[in-house]
Amino acid sequence: MNDLVLDARGVTKVFRQGKVEVQALRGVDLEVRQGEFLALVGPSGSGKTTFLNLAGALDVPTAGTLEVLGRRVADLTRGERAEMRLGQLGFVFQAFNLVPVLTAVENVEFVLELRGVGSERRRQALAVLEELGLADLARRRPAELSGGQQQRVAVARAVAAKPRLVLADEPTANLDGENAEILMHLMRDLRDRQGMTFVFSTHDPRVVSHAVRVVTLVDGRVARDEAKPGEPPHEILPRVGKAPDAPGAA
Amino acid sequence: MAWVEGRYAARSVGRNLRRTALSVVGIGVGVGLALFMESVNRGREGLFARAAAYSGAGHLRVVPAGWRLRRDPRLRLHDWRADLEAARALPGARVAAPRARAQALLAMGTHVLTVEMVGVDAEVEPRAYRFVRTMAEGRWLEPGEAGSVVLGKAAAERLHAELGDDVLATAVGQRGGIESAMFRIVGLVASGSEDLDASVCQVTLEGLAQLAGTAGAGEVAVILADHHTTPEARAALAARVASGDEVMTFEEITPEFGGHLKQDAATSRFVNGVILLIVFLGVASAQLAAVLERRREFAVLSALGMGGRRMVRLVLLEALGLGSAGAALGVALGLPAAWHFARHGLDFSSFMGEGYSFQGLLIEPVIYADVGPWMVPFVAAVAFGATVLASLYPAWFAARIDPAVALRVAQ
Repeated sequence: MNDLVLDARGVTKVFRQGKVEVQALRGVDLEVRQGEFLALVGPSGSGKTTFLNLAGALDVPTAGTLEVLGRRVADLTRGERAEMRLGQLGFVFQAFNLVPVLTAVENVEFVLELRGVGSERRRQALAVLEELGLADLARRRPAELSGGQQQRVAVARAVAAKPRLVLADEPTANLDGENAEILMHLMRDLRDRQGMTFVFSTHDPRVVSHAVRVVTLVDGRVARDEAKPGEPPHEILPRVGKAPDAPGAA
Repeated sequence: MAWVEGRYAARSVGRNLRRTALSVVGIGVGVGLALFMESVNRGREGLFARAAAYSGAGHLRVVPAGWRLRRDPRLRLHDWRADLEAARALPGARVAAPRARAQALLAMGTHVLTVEMVGVDAEVEPRAYRFVRTMAEGRWLEPGEAGSVVLGKAAAERLHAELGDDVLATAVGQRGGIESAMFRIVGLVASGSEDLDASVCQVTLEGLAQLAGTAGAGEVAVILADHHTTPEARAALAARVASGDEVMTFEEITPEFGGHLKQDAATSRFVNGVILLIVFLGVASAQLAAVLERRREFAVLSALGMGGRRMVRLVLLEALGLGSAGAALGVALGLPAAWHFARHGLDFSSFMGEGYSFQGLLIEPVIYADVGPWMVPFVAAVAFGATVLASLYPAWFAARIDPAVALRVAQ
């Protein structure tokens, strides 16, 4: 069975800003296999977010070929890319991006509803929240949650539909060190228990230390691709949640 | 409807309360105004239809074939009794009145007056002809009485005649000869309009037959309980009348009046259209602002896999929320006003006087607004139609947001 989740060959992305062309990616070659826990690192403007957007079928490459879960992104229509995101991909954003008028459980449930899950969706959404230690916060709206809690809800939303590939763009950038640690443990747990593939971008060395593989982008090119020989120590937490912190305590 | 999506749409409407309130007030005022205008417009249509019906035209009239083109009062129905029976059996018919007409010259002493003499069924006519109810002097005709006439007061004045005087009527008979007969004035009517009063000259069918030398009726006027059913009633009656006779509506009988009615209705609807256009633009602007404000949110939804159609549906659901609130406010504003004028009327008598006539029809100076079940679909169509249509562009805009660009801009 082909366990290649992501296959990028000579991927180039050029943005046009007025009359100026900006080359965000300059021929990236990268293979990501099922179950990897991969960190994309590099300075600002190195192309991390652009690569994640392409990997998430939010955008198409200007040149080169990019296959996500065996499908060439450039060949897919807008609707087909949306279908792929809904069915097989999960996203975690730097700014959490929860729907502010929905509660935590509704945010998770909404994705399940989009996927066509029927009467079971509330139970499934609560189960995911419970797994991430958020059961007590299920009926709170994002504004009533701390940054760390919001990001955990965002992870719950991303993984509720059991996607094969989860993409996280600077998921810990707005979190303090403790919450960043908790989040990384959570993601590792999910990867270890459910075999999901995680690709996340980060600047934070503490976060990088959790990665199994670290790819460094510089000026839109892969400058270094390091697979760690032994997995970093990771304790699977029986219940990840900690006592709810106060809103705004990110 | 999907539950979370519905809750999401409903709560999104409440996100920016000030903008939502302004949108709802805009829709509500527009719907209320449109409701009130339509109510008055329908009331006016009803008034005109009533004016036409009770001034002699009826809502429907059975006429001999050929009358439509020639308008010759000497034409008679092929079988007026069969037509009358068919008209009386018509569902929704309030009254059916047979009539015959003749152009006549009335003379008294040295004074003469040209009139259209109308022969009527004395028993039925008071229910079909409003001027009979405005007897100023004397009495109405008795059934079968051949030598009596009821004149308009102005007609009598022009003849210098009074109640009880005899007038000589001369008409062209069926074979082209001059026929004459004497009639005694038994009643005078005063409608309030001198023009109309100068034209009122009614005798019994028997009296007219005596003068014109032709028995029978030239028309059967039908008054319906509800003028809105005129087209259906016309079709039903046309299938039942005697061969050689046909059915016309009051708008066909008085085409100038019908044209005026249509022009009036078109003007009202144009004004309604302008009101709705303003509502439409207001809602479109508010909805577009709401979508632009939530650009990143829509980008995130798109990133999560929400398709374009679903995004359009979400925005339209929000529009339905606004439309519902606007419809409720519109009813709260428009219905009491319409209700008030349905009960008390809009009185134009100070502008028109009591006896305003148009195209030979006496128009009442008070318009009663029409309040009825039609308001439910009307409000729904106006409120939801305007808001949903106005939200189509914002919805399309939301569906076309490029998630990668929107998220990049947000960052």
